[in-house]
Amino acid sequence: MADTRTPDALGPVPLGDVLERITDGIIALDADWRIVYINTRGRELLDARDRPLIGEDYLEAFPRAAETSFVDEYRAAFCEQRPRQFVEHSRTVDRSFEVQVFPSPNGISVYFRDVTERVRAELERTEREGRQDALIQFGRIALGRISTGRLLADALELLMAYIAVPYAEIFLYDARERRYVYGEVAGLGIGIAPRSAPPLTEEALAGLLSGTTMTSLDVREDQRFLDGDTFDRLGTTAALCVPVGTEEGALALMFAYGDAATIGSEANARFAEAIATTLTEALRSKNTRRSNREILESINDAFVACDENLTITYVNERMAAFWQMRAEEIVGKNLEWFSRYSGGAETIAHYKMALLTGKSATFEAFFPERQRWYENRVYPFASGVAGYVRDVTRRKGAEMQIRELNVELERRVRERTHQLELANADLESFAYSVSHDLRAPLRAIDGFSQALEEDYGHHFDREGSRLLGRVRNAATRMAALIDALLDLARIARKPMTYVAVDVSKIAQSVVDDLRRSSPSRDVRVLVESGMGAFGEPALVRACLENLIGNAWKFTRDTPGAEIHVGRAAPGEFFVRDNGAGFDMAYANKLFGAFQRLHSVEEFEGTGVGLASVAKIVHRHGGEIRAEGSVGRGATFTFTLPTEAPSKE
Amino acid sequence: MTSPYVLLIEDNEDDIELTRRAFARNHIVNDLVVARDGVEASDLLFGGEPDKLLPQFILLDLKLPRVSGLELLERIRGDARTALIPTVILTSSKQDEDLLAGYHLGANSYVRKPVDFNEFVEAVRQVGLYWLVLNQPPPVDKT
Repeated sequence: MADTRTPDALGPVPLGDVLERITDGIIALDADWRIVYINTRGRELLDARDRPLIGEDYLEAFPRAAETSFVDEYRAAFCEQRPRQFVEHSRTVDRSFEVQVFPSPNGISVYFRDVTERVRAELERTEREGRQDALIQFGRIALGRISTGRLLADALELLMAYIAVPYAEIFLYDARERRYVYGEVAGLGIGIAPRSAPPLTEEALAGLLSGTTMTSLDVREDQRFLDGDTFDRLGTTAALCVPVGTEEGALALMFAYGDAATIGSEANARFAEAIATTLTEALRSKNTRRSNREILESINDAFVACDENLTITYVNERMAAFWQMRAEEIVGKNLEWFSRYSGGAETIAHYKMALLTGKSATFEAFFPERQRWYENRVYPFASGVAGYVRDVTRRKGAEMQIRELNVELERRVRERTHQLELANADLESFAYSVSHDLRAPLRAIDGFSQALEEDYGHHFDREGSRLLGRVRNAATRMAALIDALLDLARIARKPMTYVAVDVSKIAQSVVDDLRRSSPSRDVRVLVESGMGAFGEPALVRACLENLIGNAWKFTRDTPGAEIHVGRAAPGEFFVRDNGAGFDMAYANKLFGAFQRLHSVEEFEGTGVGLASVAKIVHRHGGEIRAEGSVGRGATFTFTLPTEAPSKE
Repeated sequence: MTSPYVLLIEDNEDDIELTRRAFARNHIVNDLVVARDGVEASDLLFGGEPDKLLPQFILLDLKLPRVSGLELLERIRGDARTALIPTVILTSSKQDEDLLAGYHLGANSYVRKPVDFNEFVEAVRQVGLYWLVLNQPPPVDKT
């Protein structure tokens, strides 16, 4: 467009309709700054429709132009005789104009258009971007702020930098106590009494706490506000209330008081909310840090954290007490400083190792000066290492006591074992002696009784021979008793080896032996197949020999004798017969050594068989029980392991 | 010792007499020479002139004063002159350990003395029959 409008064509006089139709404002000045022309649009833009203007001095007609760069620009264009272009805000009409100035030796022609909206949008955009940058900056600072007060002050500073309000305040809010905990104010808050609770009705507060921003353009008339008058004194009529917090609850409440235009701005409200969001995160992270800290303070262990150079960054109170210093004195020191204490150097070596390897470590250290044991647990983390120290003196004492007790116990066990071994050896020699020495006289009794009968039998009558026979019978029976006793002792002493035993096969073999030894007996025997257990084969066999042998013996007088060897459950076996049976009243006497429920004349035996069986079953960790009734048979049920017991 | 004999090593006088009686009942006519303990038996077997007559077989009790039966057996089997003499353990013990040790040391038989004299006679009969009649003794080195 500028190309078509040459300075010559725009000569001061005469001016045609063309210029009138141009939508830009046009004003022409001569070399003495007198207005020689202004078009209708120009008059409109400059709010000078009804003024004469033509022939007037430009600066007299528009005096405020001197306050801005219009005059300088015109002068420069004329002097340099070069066109100029610029954007400037006119104080005359409070509008922004984009201006083109075309000079000629006679004067200048000025074309200007209203760009107020464009400039405002531009400004807003710039401001918005500025706000965003400021928010990001605030976020960075906020997350690192240790002091809550400073954090709140930062938030207010940011708020007031971008929202033109004279006064703002922010309070930490305790929702449970329904009151302010701590607050910061900024701006012209002079004369405002410190608050202890939000100046809002219950309902308004509830809305705010639920997370909704609240705007009031006239607090004096707003029923939601309790003390609108206070702010009237500051000349503020509107209020912006923004909750700081999460859905779970407000952490703080932020208030900005100002004029209706500023408070009513949607952009301002959004910005305040953005600050609140950032503040929420910062407060929450602070809370987390604080709770971490509280945890570290509350644990019973002493705690120390170091950075990667072993500079101590944190100690809890217990650690401070451990070194008998104040925490502030310790933080900032290097861990090496503590190597002056005995035990310290070793401890530090562990920390260095943990840093180097990234592996945690646990070790115990004895501090001779204190006569105490400490357990250290060292954990490396991304940028340093942390240690927990616990006094384990009592535990160590207990451990040592236990160790001493164990040593004593072992000594006593050894002593006792030795005594038992001696006793066992005594028993061995006793059994040996019984076996040899008790039998020899019996043999003599029997042998010489017979010699007497052989050599002097003709001197005896029948009664004499019968009495001699009784002597010999007694000797034989005593020999059997001695043997049974020795067998019982052997069962008790025999070392146990657990192997898989085929109970069915052993039982069948026992039955076969019995059939061979008494071929005249007619006994129906049922041995279930596939019965297995774990045990010492010789003892399991002895057990079955006794039980089946008993069944065999006690069915001697039973017509249709039957013996059933079976399994009641895995590992639970029984031997049942339909023989003489026994009276359950004496069942508890069955398994005692030398206990008999029948006379020797009725059924021969030593009374040791069932005692042996019980001994065998018990040595396998099993149980045995007997059921029966007189004349109706007996059932012996016993258990054996179904798997080899573990070595322990 | 000039005629073939059986050596009984036994300290119990009752058992000695019963054994003699059992020999008599079985009509074993060989002399029964008795040693009352291991030392006496050793003297008899290993002492004296080198050319003396050795027993046809030995009946050995295990429980003996001074030198035990098993010790004596070990010595009998360890000496070239006596190593091949049939030796039968004749004892009251039926302990497994004694049985095993006896056989390990080279006993030819292990006989438990029954309390019943008739059984004892029978045992002696069988031992005597086997070792005196049926068994072919090892050739005597005459060189």
